[in-house]
Amino acid sequence: MTSITATPALELRGVRVRRGGRDVLDVPHLSVASGETVAILGPNGAGKSTLMLAAALLLPADGAITILGETARRGAHVRLRRQTATVFQDAALLDMTVRRNIEVALAMHGVPRATRRARAGEWLGRLGVAHLAEQRGHAVSGGEAQRVSLARAFAVRPRLLFLDEPFSGVDHATRAALTGDLRALLAAEGTAALIATHDHSEALLLADRVVLLDAGRPLQIGPAAEVLARPESEAAARFLGFSVLGPGGCALLGLQGADGATRAAVAPDAARLDVAGTPGVVRRAEAGGGAGRLIVELASGDTLAVALAVEALRAPSLAVGQETRVAVDARRVVWLAR
Amino acid sequence: MDLLLEALREAVRLLRTGDGDVYSITLRTALITGASTLVAALVGLPVGLGIALGRFPGQRVLLAIANAGTGMPPVVAGLFVAILLWRSGPLGALGLIYTPWAMVIAQALIATPLVVSFAAAGVMALPPSLHLQVRAMGAGAASYVWLIAREARLALLVAVMAGFGGVVSEVGAAMMVGGNLSGETRVLTTAAVLEVNRGNFGTALALGLILLMLVVLVSAALTTAQARVRRR
Repeated sequence: MTSITATPALELRGVRVRRGGRDVLDVPHLSVASGETVAILGPNGAGKSTLMLAAALLLPADGAITILGETARRGAHVRLRRQTATVFQDAALLDMTVRRNIEVALAMHGVPRATRRARAGEWLGRLGVAHLAEQRGHAVSGGEAQRVSLARAFAVRPRLLFLDEPFSGVDHATRAALTGDLRALLAAEGTAALIATHDHSEALLLADRVVLLDAGRPLQIGPAAEVLARPESEAAARFLGFSVLGPGGCALLGLQGADGATRAAVAPDAARLDVAGTPGVVRRAEAGGGAGRLIVELASGDTLAVALAVEALRAPSLAVGQETRVAVDARRVVWLAR
Repeated sequence: MDLLLEALREAVRLLRTGDGDVYSITLRTALITGASTLVAALVGLPVGLGIALGRFPGQRVLLAIANAGTGMPPVVAGLFVAILLWRSGPLGALGLIYTPWAMVIAQALIATPLVVSFAAAGVMALPPSLHLQVRAMGAGAASYVWLIAREARLALLVAVMAGFGGVVSEVGAAMMVGGNLSGETRVLTTAAVLEVNRGNFGTALALGLILLMLVVLVSAALTTAQARVRRR
């Protein structure tokens, strides 16, 4: 795990949340440096939202949560929350005009009445929704509401921003645009941010560091590109979409690990169909996010995902049950610790 | 059929001339019902909000009591208040039995669980994300309650309407603690019962029609307020 130094915008030490007699969150240490963006990446039910709520002081948790140098204690939560802002998956706009939604947040943060209107207008403009200012919050579309929600969050000039899967409720095109806008805003404002997402590309684009979370526990923490390319455990590899091969599969594919490692993680784009490769049987075809994957079962029982264009998956020779041959780029194999 | 036509003719005459204290009874009904609804709103709305927003021991029990209270028979509420206010009862020294105040107390007792239950349900029906968002914005306790109540304002208005509806037409408690005294505690419902017992169906029908108009008027006023709140 990577340790962040300097004065962190956020630091969690031994943070635990118990529910139904068991730990649903157990984070020994996590920090977000000033101006840094950290993505919490994990599948549904991994505890991303629980971590986000605990860190934002919206959920009781054991352990120490330090925001901007001050450790949260009973009675200080409201004051600390006023130095942060949170964007949820549901924009949760209040039943008032869009402009008033932002003015209310500004009022909470102690912004003088005289400047609220101008500040709200400025941020609605920066998010491209100035034309919605006088519309009711409940009357705007999902993507627009999320833009207003971002405007509301940035308008209070938070030093730390929490984003809990902010774009998972909007369509692909809107999501891509919002992600780009968020990246630009985070860079321009220098705001530290903790963002929960299950989208690898979103994490890679937005985050300096990534925390892989599974069953409420961090599996791996590190620079975004490194974590996404080099999983350290089988669970991390599987979540990131890598195929995990046992000793039998490695032997069939001619892969040999250093220091006696016998389990390998292979990214789909490190595997290919190859007439001179290892034989296998097509088990299924998958598609998502514009990319296709062919799942091939080897004689060892291991399955290998091969990245292919979605159209290529429709070829009769790749129908379920057909025999094919696969190969792996040995230089890109990630060997997993025993 | 003749009886019905005769009753209708008598009703029209009473409404036209205002004989038989019809209008003073109507005014008294509006005042007593209005006062009891006001008391129920002043007590029930904060309690309903507290149950919906607070975290305290016995919260569910309190909500269960309020929910059960929505079905409380008016005569039971009346009996309870009558025992309390009876001259030899615990609060007998106050001399409130058979006064409009006793009727306000009994009717408020009927209306308050309705207001509490409807208000709590309305606030609980708000999306959880809204609660989180308001707290995440840095709302203190007062701002939090104010913003959530504002979001639930239509439901809170409905809660008050339910409270009013629960008491405007009740007769058991009004009769029991008010005594149906002419010029003092006689309201539209108790007067209508009395006139039916006397065989004066015309007068009873007139009183019934006025009660109906009162309900329609108040409901229309509250519905208008509801529409305005929605637009705001």
